[in-house]
Amino acid sequence: MAGSGSRVRRYVLLLVLLGGFGLVLFRLVTLQVLQAEELSVRADRQHQKTVSLEGPRGTIVDRHGKVLAMNMEVPSVFGIPATLENPAKTARQLSSVLPVKIPELEKKLQQNRSFVWLARKLDPEQGRRLDRLSLDGIGVVMEGRRFYPKGSLLSHVLGFAGMDGDGLEGVEHRYEAYLRGEKRMMILQRDAMGRTVFPKSLAERSPVPGHQLTLTIDEVVQYIAERELEDAVSRSRAKSGTIIVLDPETGAVLAMAVSPRFDPNALSALKKQDRLQNTAITDAYEPGSTMKAMIAAAAIEEGAMKPTTMVFGEHGRMSIANTVIHDHEKLGWVSFAQVIQKSSNIGAAKAGMVLGEQRLYRYLQAFGFGQRTEIDLPGEGVGLVKGPKAWGRRSVASISIGQEIGVTPIQMVSAIAALANGGVLMKPYVVSEIRDAEGHLLKRAPPQVRRRVVSPDTARSVTNILEGVVTHGTGVKAAIPGFRVAGKTGTAQQIDPKTHRYSNSRFVTSFVGYVPADRPRLAMIVIIDAPQDKKASGGSVAAPVFSSVGEQVLSYLGVSSDEPVTLAMAVPNS
Amino acid sequence: MKIFTILLGLCLVFVFVWERVDMVRVGYQIERLKRDKTVLERQRDELRVQFSSLSASNRIAKLATEKLGMSLPQHGQLILVQSRPSVTPPTDLASTPMRVARNYLPSRRD
Repeated sequence: MAGSGSRVRRYVLLLVLLGGFGLVLFRLVTLQVLQAEELSVRADRQHQKTVSLEGPRGTIVDRHGKVLAMNMEVPSVFGIPATLENPAKTARQLSSVLPVKIPELEKKLQQNRSFVWLARKLDPEQGRRLDRLSLDGIGVVMEGRRFYPKGSLLSHVLGFAGMDGDGLEGVEHRYEAYLRGEKRMMILQRDAMGRTVFPKSLAERSPVPGHQLTLTIDEVVQYIAERELEDAVSRSRAKSGTIIVLDPETGAVLAMAVSPRFDPNALSALKKQDRLQNTAITDAYEPGSTMKAMIAAAAIEEGAMKPTTMVFGEHGRMSIANTVIHDHEKLGWVSFAQVIQKSSNIGAAKAGMVLGEQRLYRYLQAFGFGQRTEIDLPGEGVGLVKGPKAWGRRSVASISIGQEIGVTPIQMVSAIAALANGGVLMKPYVVSEIRDAEGHLLKRAPPQVRRRVVSPDTARSVTNILEGVVTHGTGVKAAIPGFRVAGKTGTAQQIDPKTHRYSNSRFVTSFVGYVPADRPRLAMIVIIDAPQDKKASGGSVAAPVFSSVGEQVLSYLGVSSDEPVTLAMAVPNS
Repeated sequence: MKIFTILLGLCLVFVFVWERVDMVRVGYQIERLKRDKTVLERQRDELRVQFSSLSASNRIAKLATEKLGMSLPQHGQLILVQSRPSVTPPTDLASTPMRVARNYLPSRRD
């Protein structure tokens, strides 16, 4: 009897255990099989956090690796108005750190919203001060901000990036595809406390930063050019100015200065009249007498003139197509070299007429006028060069003295660089290398030849003539002690907007040249627009700037002087 | 044999649990190191921007002229630099090592 009772208890116990296991098994099957999909989704929602991350924008450096633009994570401050007990007090505390006035902060914090931005992309120091306040209902998130540590230096070339990190002007815009960091969605696991435990998959990589651009620009050369340009613009009370310095052998831009400048770190402080455009490549101007250097090259190349060919200067006055061309000096018979050195309009017009319409137009095109140089910057202008069919009876003469034609500064300096390097037109460029964030080279921009314009012999002849411009012609103030300089002055009348005729008081003064003349290291253009002096000329306003910039840059580059240096002997102290 | 099997099973369970716990611990460690790395990267970027800003040519020129009273050298200034004066005066002065630094940084105004 006792045995059967014990057996019953064992069966009951077994039944209970089996029942229990059965229930657990049933629940297990329900959770793991029947509701698996739904529960898995719900768990993922609770455990996982999907974040969109963007790699930082790439850095821009000069040819020596000096940082010109880079991204940095900076604090942005937000408020959660619903959690604030005393918005007025919080606003007062915040105002000691944030660049926002108390009433504005109060207004934002009293809004019936769950989230409100208070200030974005602050300086890191402001973020640290805010941390020390540790205010309830106020939070900080880090956002990428673009910094231009050299301030307004090179502003027109670099351009700038907007609030959302898009490149809007200059190199920032042109190389947007390389500079922008890669965007990536990442799934993170988080625990019950909301802390991130682990990425869902170890294979997930962090977002890739943008590439680094190395410019051909030299920060020191750029600084020298900008300082001298601003001094000249201020001294002559001019409207604006431009300097471009090229390596004539490669077309690499060493400096591109436009005055007035702007500070890309403080775009909100820009005034209406501030121009963000890089006028060195966008705007066309009438080159005036600087065009005579190219006319001389064309005439010599075609055998139409030799440097020794005698030209009659008509005593400073010549009629063409019911108009009169004047010279500032009454010349009789002079050599063609003297025509250029004394900047005779009549002599240059005669050279143009000997060349004729078709050949003149062909050389304008060969030197790159009326076409983009294809420099790697956005918004380049083409200038204004009409075809011979649209020319009038005076056009050949006018174009030969730099009228009836519009060229951009980059076109003109590229053309003079072609004479400097022996007759080859190079493509100007500002970005020399692109590297990824780890420093691996992705792309290198080699110098690109566009075409041969004139023979080396012609280039040498023109160089000799242009040296004369500086030694005893209109450009003596461009001379650099110890160096042979070749160049040409230009003083172009501007069109008076009221009379629509050439003004006698508004000029574009310029000097374009290269140095050392026999082994050029620099080709440079200096343009001073509308100096407030009726007697201003390329020789008096722009040429001294060429000399000053050239002298300093040659010294900085370690280019030795052409002159022998006399050594003083020092006896060491015993 | 049975006991050995049970012990082996327990060991396997222990290793499995320990591995899971350790993975979570390492996960937290990785996240902490990532945060540290981010902070250090921010500091590095900040210092890089500061360095670039402090070494700007216009700032150095301003400090040199306004604070230190320096000025740009005049035309034709020659500075003779001898790298190391010899203890005994050389008999042949022409062979004395001598470098010539020619500095062209004029503030010439035409």
